[in-house]
Amino acid sequence: MNGVMGVIFASDNENKLNELTIHRTTASLPFCGRYRLIDFTLSNFVNSGITQIGIVTRSNYSSLMDHIRMGRDWDLNRKNGGLSVFPPFVLNSSREMYKGKIEAIYSIQGFIRRSPEEYVLLSNSNIAMNIDFDEVMAAHLAAKADVTMLVHKAKTTTSRRLVVETQDGEVKDLYISVTPSSEDKLLGLNVYLIKKDLLLSLVEHEYARGHVDFEKDILMKQLGSIKMHPYLVKHHAAIVDDVRTYYNESMKVLDPAVREELFYGDSIIYTKVKDSVPTLYKENACVKNSLIADGCEIDGLVENSILFRGVKVEKGAEVRNSIIMEDGKVMENGSVCYAITDKNVTVTAGRTISGYESYPVVIVKDKTV
Amino acid sequence: MKSRNKKECVAMLLAGGQGTRLGVLTHDVAKPAVPFGGKYRIIDFPLSNCINSGIDTIGVLTQYQPFELNQYIGNGQPWDLDRLSGGAYVLPPYVKGKEGEWYKGTANAIYQNINFIDRFNPEYVVVLSGDHIYKMDYDKMLAAHKAKGADCTIAVIGVTIEEASRFGIMNTDPDDRIFEFEEKPKQPKSTNASMGIYVFTWSVLRQYLIDDEADPKSQNDFGKNVIPKMLADGKKLYAYRFQGYWKDVGTISSLWEANMDLLNASSGLNLNDPSWKIYARNSAEPPHFAAGSAEIQNSIVSEGAMVLGSVKRSVVSHSAYIGLGAIIEDSVILPDAVIKAGAVVRHAIVAEGAVIGEGAKIGETQKAPVKGEWQIAVVGPGVKIAPSVVVAPAEMVKEDK
Repeated sequence: MNGVMGVIFASDNENKLNELTIHRTTASLPFCGRYRLIDFTLSNFVNSGITQIGIVTRSNYSSLMDHIRMGRDWDLNRKNGGLSVFPPFVLNSSREMYKGKIEAIYSIQGFIRRSPEEYVLLSNSNIAMNIDFDEVMAAHLAAKADVTMLVHKAKTTTSRRLVVETQDGEVKDLYISVTPSSEDKLLGLNVYLIKKDLLLSLVEHEYARGHVDFEKDILMKQLGSIKMHPYLVKHHAAIVDDVRTYYNESMKVLDPAVREELFYGDSIIYTKVKDSVPTLYKENACVKNSLIADGCEIDGLVENSILFRGVKVEKGAEVRNSIIMEDGKVMENGSVCYAITDKNVTVTAGRTISGYESYPVVIVKDKTV
Repeated sequence: MKSRNKKECVAMLLAGGQGTRLGVLTHDVAKPAVPFGGKYRIIDFPLSNCINSGIDTIGVLTQYQPFELNQYIGNGQPWDLDRLSGGAYVLPPYVKGKEGEWYKGTANAIYQNINFIDRFNPEYVVVLSGDHIYKMDYDKMLAAHKAKGADCTIAVIGVTIEEASRFGIMNTDPDDRIFEFEEKPKQPKSTNASMGIYVFTWSVLRQYLIDDEADPKSQNDFGKNVIPKMLADGKKLYAYRFQGYWKDVGTISSLWEANMDLLNASSGLNLNDPSWKIYARNSAEPPHFAAGSAEIQNSIVSEGAMVLGSVKRSVVSHSAYIGLGAIIEDSVILPDAVIKAGAVVRHAIVAEGAVIGEGAKIGETQKAPVKGEWQIAVVGPGVKIAPSVVVAPAEMVKEDK
């Protein structure tokens, strides 16, 4: 797809991810044992031939830069196109960070305009799925749409989601939901395909009026005047917008059917290569229903959990229903249950960390318990 | 005049070996491309040693079944060898002038690439082979070579006197100067076994290669011809004593042993070493999954693997599948192999993409195994074993059964 460029917003809902995004953007949130959330969007772009990609960051972007470097792990170190990362900027007028996607797009309008592609794919970074954007483009052209928005079927929760109501294959109504629903609805995935001229003119118009919210100030307002086409993503799509959805979406990946859709679909999901050794299981290892990255050393019990790279679980230690990020260490007879421990957390010998399924406890980066 | 492309030291990696003793494992690939340790290939060791030693220009001499090796090395990026100047070069034999010929021997392979080496105008050339598992700092060896003012330095490792008759043995004076070289001596005089790793002063080697090529009686081999000739001429050859793990994985038995050494901390083979990483081309697989029914102890498991059965004292490579109720013991399961439900695999190597049917039995528990003479069963790459078929210990399966 030579005619499409990609724009990724690296920061969304960071305030709701609390401790997990103190040190990083949503885009660089570790996910599924060896990935960062942005790996999915980048890999989907690359596998669909989209290689002119801009990433707009808002804050704490050093972990993101460290992860993507020059984009080589996604084959994005190109002479033509490749990755352009836009660091946080302060708008002259307001002297603060951008507040919404309208401001963000406005700030990189030069980059978008100068790129030779005719279309733009806009994507948030809090999404993990495996999709072929060629099919999205084909559907967009077939529907003669102005905007194609990706949607999936899911129940609403207390987090802010865009509900899409359709009629005859077109978007009829859009509204924001913050209350849980009992049945599935069509929910927006915050991924849009649009001609760049149209995007820039819409953004310019709203920006001049001080509006910031892409969904509210552009999409909802333009209902009826531009043709919006919903594209239903049938495969698994994980949206992470707070600690609870992070935990739940992580645990879903323990299901082989979900992993099949996420990792063995159209795209190969690439990530930064760290050259860890394979994981070593020792004499007392007992590992059940768990996803284990390379570089771990396990001599204890691990159950219904996800271990990132380089995690050590010592003899007598127990890890249940938990997510242990890179280089975590659970020492002898330590116990971790319903917890998310960030990078490089050490649980010392005999200590216990325990949360609840509905409220997993988060231990921040580099802490020793 | 200073050449802007000059490199102090260039490595030449002999990767053309057919590895006939590995049988079906090297039927379609060169020996250095044989998978090892869950996610590596044998060639990852010399390549990683080079880059970790500061050598960034490596000629990889291929000949036998080069395609997979070429593809694997690619532009050298996984080893940080994609350089503006230098990097990894795959060097197959090619037609020169009217004549074109295969590499006749190890020395001839280097001889045919004199022009390649000359382009970097190096002081020293390191000659390596692609069939050993070890971690070694070639820079220290090079420093010893320079300190002694040697023409050639040969890395040696201490072996037992019983083992010595299987190796090339270097007999040295107290200053480590080599006065005699004996290939597989019946009555070894010392226990300094050659590791097949040489540092040469290029100007000296260059002339010897030209002379060797001109000698119609020569087999154009380093061990048989070039080294003995240099000794006879009184050149300065020194032994460099290497301490640490080193293993020639040229046989099924030794390849299996080296894999098992990864499971045993006392073997001295520790790859989890941030200061000396072994790099490999990454397979872009998700983390491995241990199912609720899995039992895994004393084993290593790599990315993309799926384990539903029992795995003991084994190596499970990336993207392998171990079905429900399957039993894997003392075995090496190579990438993409599928072990179906209820199959039993003991003392075996199951090669890439092989499929072991339900309830099949591969190998058997050894009765009083003799070290070095393990009865390892091998199922070749892509071979399909039908349900309930029995493969005997030490059997090598080449075709579907």
